[in-house]
This record gives sequence, structure tokens and C-alpha cells, in this order.
Amino acid sequence: MARRWSVLLLSTPLRLALALVMLFALVSTLAFGASYMVVRNNLEGTMRADLAQEMAGFRAAPSAGALAALIEAEAQVTDPSRRILTYLAPDGQVFGNVALSRGQDGYLQINLPPGSKGSGGSYLGLAGDFFGGQLIVAQSREQMSSLGDMFRNVLILTLLPTFALALGGGILLALRSKARVESITSTLERLTTGDLAARVPKMRGRADDLSLIGDRIDRMAARQQAATEALRQVSADIAHDLKTPIQRVSVMLNQLEERESLSPEDAELAARARAEADRIVATFQSLLQIAQIEGGSPKARFAPVDLSDLARTFVEIFEPSAEDRGQHISLTDDSDGQARVLGEKGLLGQVLANLIENALRHTPEGSQIALRLHRPPGAVVLEVADTGPGIPEEERENVLRRLYRLERSRTTPGSGLGLALVAVIAELHEARLELDDAAPGLLVRLTFKA
Amino acid sequence: MKILVVEDDATTSEYIAEGLRQEGHTVDLTAEGREGLIHATSGEYDVMIIDRMLPGLDGMSLVKALRAAHNRTPVLFLTSLGGVDDRIEGLNAGGDDYLVKPFAFGELSARIHALGRRPHLKEETTVLSAGDLKMDLLARRVSRAGQEIDLLPREFALLEHLLRRKGRVQTRTMLLEAVWDISFDPQTNVVETHISRLRAKIDKPFEHELIKTVRGSGYRIET
Repeated sequence: MARRWSVLLLSTPLRLALALVMLFALVSTLAFGASYMVVRNNLEGTMRADLAQEMAGFRAAPSAGALAALIEAEAQVTDPSRRILTYLAPDGQVFGNVALSRGQDGYLQINLPPGSKGSGGSYLGLAGDFFGGQLIVAQSREQMSSLGDMFRNVLILTLLPTFALALGGGILLALRSKARVESITSTLERLTTGDLAARVPKMRGRADDLSLIGDRIDRMAARQQAATEALRQVSADIAHDLKTPIQRVSVMLNQLEERESLSPEDAELAARARAEADRIVATFQSLLQIAQIEGGSPKARFAPVDLSDLARTFVEIFEPSAEDRGQHISLTDDSDGQARVLGEKGLLGQVLANLIENALRHTPEGSQIALRLHRPPGAVVLEVADTGPGIPEEERENVLRRLYRLERSRTTPGSGLGLALVAVIAELHEARLELDDAAPGLLVRLTFKA
Repeated sequence: MKILVVEDDATTSEYIAEGLRQEGHTVDLTAEGREGLIHATSGEYDVMIIDRMLPGLDGMSLVKALRAAHNRTPVLFLTSLGGVDDRIEGLNAGGDDYLVKPFAFGELSARIHALGRRPHLKEETTVLSAGDLKMDLLARRVSRAGQEIDLLPREFALLEHLLRRKGRVQTRTMLLEAVWDISFDPQTNVVETHISRLRAKIDKPFEHELIKTVRGSGYRIET
């Protein structure tokens, strides 16, 4: 689930939608901020003008005593939470609805702690000198802060639906394109695993970038399919056209060998010629098989195969041959009989035969050839290790190539196709093939998905 | 036996026909698929050898048509292809055996004999023997001239296979298929070494050799 969401978050449409929402939010906030400042300054100006006018009204008072009486009277009917009137008389007496201390003349900021007389809060005040005392008139800024609240509310009300819409739309688009991207990737996956008939499902009436990509993939797949079909046909033709003459050569050599008039030397020569013909056939057969497996996979015939059984059979088959050469084969099965993989038994058997024969052929007398099966989590691993000379690290990639042979192996028999065939069969089974150092010797490791 | 050969390459079919005639069989030759089917439906053959790639009607379709018409004559497919798939396809189409070109005549001959004499010995046989050698299938015991012989399980299976087909040649590839269930040819001479192990136990200590090597073909236990 978490993975699904992270995949969704990574999808292009959703990221675009989110980026747009962010941009929109930023621009809106800036615009609202600017208009708030303008309105606020305007309001502050009006408040200052009001205060100055009021102050001017009190200038009409003839004396300090009259002003004090006037203030006292007006303070009676004025709510201190909205408006403050304070006269600090020259003799130290304080009149008005809130007791303030004397400060500088001019506009000032007044903050009353909550719970004091009045309800507390922020005020804009104006102080002026009257008959040696100081008159302070102040107006609550509540209006201003409610203006701020209003602006904030409007901003939220505008942004929320936009945000919800953009996000919802983004997720919807992302989900839709995710489904289509998934159908494209699954088609590609099928194509790469050998199902060349796989095609991207068509979206009706759409010609956007994704369906264009889908079309391109389909066209590419169709081409590949045609090319593979042609290759298969060519392989079959070559097989037929070449094998028939090889068959004839074998037949003739057979007939020659059976002639009684043949001298022993000639018979020996004929037998050697036939052995060579057999080698041609073996190499040819391996090449053909690699082409066939690469061309179109027999995956449809895959069934569970018990590698334990198979390995035991092949160790048993090769044991006497190894002993005759002074080599020793062993099998260590650490899989608890759970070494089942999905595959083609004949091909997997060929892998075992090729790996064992390879080890037998390229190691000297007295060598150990150790097969091991084990099951790390989620995998089945088959290892074939020998105590021979191994393969230099820089050559390991090369030996998996067709017909590649190490310089020192030129003199030993073998087609140079054994490991290439193993590599092709491993790929067909989605198994990882690794060549490693058995210190000393070669370690071939095949890791199957369990 | 009366054998039908449907093969378009003249050299190959002549070679097969000549070899089979020398062994005393009657052979009919045809090089074309449809003609082959017409011959085949006559129902007078003991075994048929059919190439998979033929002009006219290909070998697979020929055998499918034949089987659809309830003709059960054993068929040996000859083929230039030798992939795992091809083999299974051929057997699924109704072929009884499958031989990849190029092949030695000995291989073909041994397989033809195996096909022609089907079905094999009755399965309920519990004791097999050849000369003074006795094999008890239930007790899994082998003795020769009254002397108990210890065999490994696979040696036992190999000997049992040869004994059940006493007098008939079994080639290397036939043994690989029957005893080890392997349908490809390893490059190492594994069959030879297994046979020599078996011989060391059942033949070496005794005067008369039971397992004979048939040159160019395979092995046989004499009747």
C-alpha cells in the first residue's frame, strides 16, 4: 500500500498538479497579503484622522477643570474596549475610563493586558498637551484585527476548493495514467520475456503521448516478431539444408568403414572422419538450440522441476566417468528437498550436464567437482565449483559468449558452446548466472527465483 | 517386418532401405507426404519411418491424419530439428519415437526393432534371467552361477532394461532415454563407463560374457 502511494506520488500528472497548486497558493497569498496591507494602511489613516479630529474637539474646553469634567462625563458613556479617554491633569489627577501614565505627545501604540479595565487589547492612541496636562484619546484596533481575520478567511475559502480540485484532479489523472503506464510496462515486460505477440491495449479515441508511445511499442514488437519468425524459418531451413548433406556424409563414411577391403589405416581414417562429422553435428545442434531458445521460448511448457532430483541423477550419471579420470564429483543438498523451480526439465538437465562436463574437461586429475543446492530466502541456488585453474576475472564475461574459448582450452575438446547454452537457458528461466572464484577453481552459480 | 519409409532425400532413404533389406525386412519407399499417407493407410506395415519435413504433406500432419483414422502403426520420426520442443511436438502428434539427423544406421535399426516388438514383456514378470544370471525384481537381487552380486540402484535399472529386451540391441541414446530419462546426448562417454562398471560386476568374474557390444550401435544381452 505504502509502495502504491509512493509510486502514485512519483507520477508525472500528480506532481504537476501539486506544483501548480503550490504556485497558485503562493500567488494568491501574495495578492491577498498586498491588498490586506493597502486596506490596513487606509484604515490606519482614517483612524489617525478621526483621533486628530476628536482631539481638536476637546481644544474648545476653556480650562483644565472644564476639560476634566468633560472627559469624565464622556468617559461615563464610552466603552473602554472600543475607545479610551484619559486626561492626566497637571496636578497629577487622572480622569477618564482607563488610567494611563503620561508619555510622549503624538500618536502612540497602547497595549492593555487582558483582564485590566476595559477588555484589554491593542489601541491606536493620540496624546496631546492640554493646559499643562496630557489628553490621550485612543481607538481599539479590533476593527483592524477583524479585518485581518476576514482576509484570512477569504483566502482559505478561495484556496481550499482550488487545492482540493487540483489535488483530486491530479490524483485522478495520475491513477488513469498509472493504469496506462502499467499496461505499457507489463506489455514491455512480456515482450522482453519472449512473448512477442504481446501488444499494448488500445485506448479508444485517444491520441495523447502515452497512446503514441503504445503505438510505437506495438510497431516495434510487430517488427521484432516478424524478424524472429523469419529467423526461426531460416534456422529451420538451414537445419534442413545442412543436416541433410551432413547425414549423407555420415552415411557414406559408415558405408566406407564397413568395407572389408579397407586397410586398418584407412578404416582408422574413416572412423576419425566420422568422429569429426559427429562433432560438426554436436556444435551445429547446440547453435541451433541456442537460436531456438532465443527465438521463441518454450515457456508454455514450464512445470515445477525438482532440482534436487535432477542434480542427484546427473551426479550419478557422471560419477563413473569422473572416477575413470581420477576426478571426484559430490553433491551437497542443503535445500531440504525444497529445490523446486519452474522450468523445462530437459533444458535444466542440459545445464547440469554442460556444467559438469565443463568442469570435468577443464580440470586436471585429482580435482574435486562439488555441486551444492541451497535455499536463501526467495531463491533456489545451484552451485558447481571445481578445484581446477578457474577462469581469470577479465575473461569471465567472454566465456558466456558463443564459440569463445580460452587460449589454453584450444587443445581440449569441446565446442565452446557449453556455457553459452547454459547462459541462454538460465535467461529463459530468469535465473541469474554468475561466474566466481572458488579459490582455487571456478564457481558457477545459478540463482533461480523460488 | 514390413516397413514404410517416407523420406524426400534420396541418399538417406536409399541408405535406410538398403540397411533394412540387408536385415531381412521388406521396405517400401516414398518421397512425398500425400503419397506416404496413402501407403500408410493401407495398414499393412509393421513400422513406419517418416521424415518431419516432406514435400506435399509434412510428416507431422501425415501422422496426425493417420492417428485420426485410428491407424496405430508405430511411427519413428526422422528430423533435422532436435530441440526439446520439436521432440515433444513430434511425440504429441502421435509419433512413437524420434530420431535426429544425422544418425547412424545402428541407431535406427535398434529403434525400429524396439518399436516393431511392442508391447514389451509382460510387466508382472518378477524374475528375469539370461544364461546363469538371475534377477529377482521383487527382492531386488541379482545372482550369477549362484553367486550373489551387489549392484547400485542405477546399475540394477540398467541391467533390468537390457534383460527385458534380451537379444535386442540397445543404443547409447536409447539407454540414456530409458534409464536416466535424458533426451540429449552428453559429450562425455557416460553410457560406456556405466556399462563397463556393470560388466566388471556381472561379467568379469565369470567365463562367459553376457553383455555384448554391437559395433557402431550399442549393447545387447544374448539370449
